[in-house]
Amino acid sequence: MVRPEDIQTYIQEGLPCDHIRIDGDGHHFEAVIVSAEFAGKSRVQRQQRVYQTIKDRLDSGEIHALSFKTFTPEEWEAQRG
Amino acid sequence: MDAQQVIKEQVTGNPVVLYMKGTPQFPQCGFSATAVQILKACGVNQFYSVNVLENPEIRQGIKDYANWPTIPQLYIKGEFVGGCDIMREMFQAGELQQMLEGVAQA
Repeated sequence: MVRPEDIQTYIQEGLPCDHIRIDGDGHHFEAVIVSAEFAGKSRVQRQQRVYQTIKDRLDSGEIHALSFKTFTPEEWEAQRG
Repeated sequence: MDAQQVIKEQVTGNPVVLYMKGTPQFPQCGFSATAVQILKACGVNQFYSVNVLENPEIRQGIKDYANWPTIPQLYIKGEFVGGCDIMREMFQAGELQQMLEGVAQA
């Protein structure tokens, strides 16, 4: 069974993250991903960028249900107030 | 006709298209169920839905079509809008309602 920390490693290996948090029960995962690479990108482009890092594992079915929110460092600061 | 052509006809021939697992009445995945609920919350009760579980070629083809590896996928007027997370974000921001205004009846 895939663990949240595994998914975190997969994503971090493919995308420099300022902050990443993943919660999940082995089947469904929720992630918050903060990366400077998201600046100037649309919502679709940001998710595509994250999907790049886990595409093989999505295709294989190792990861089925991952829901995530993306922020730039500036958006993340503003969000946290 | 190959899967890419079928998909192109589906998304351009219908104003609102949702590729999902299961049907709007009986979604077979939580994310697909959420996508249907969001569309309904936007006042869209009539939309073209494609059950990818019944069509393996479309299931693979739709991932290539928008370079998007997951399902559900929403298309409005032929444009790929996003999956469940993006639909939720846009709904919460009021953007999805704006995009859908007047479209579904067209």
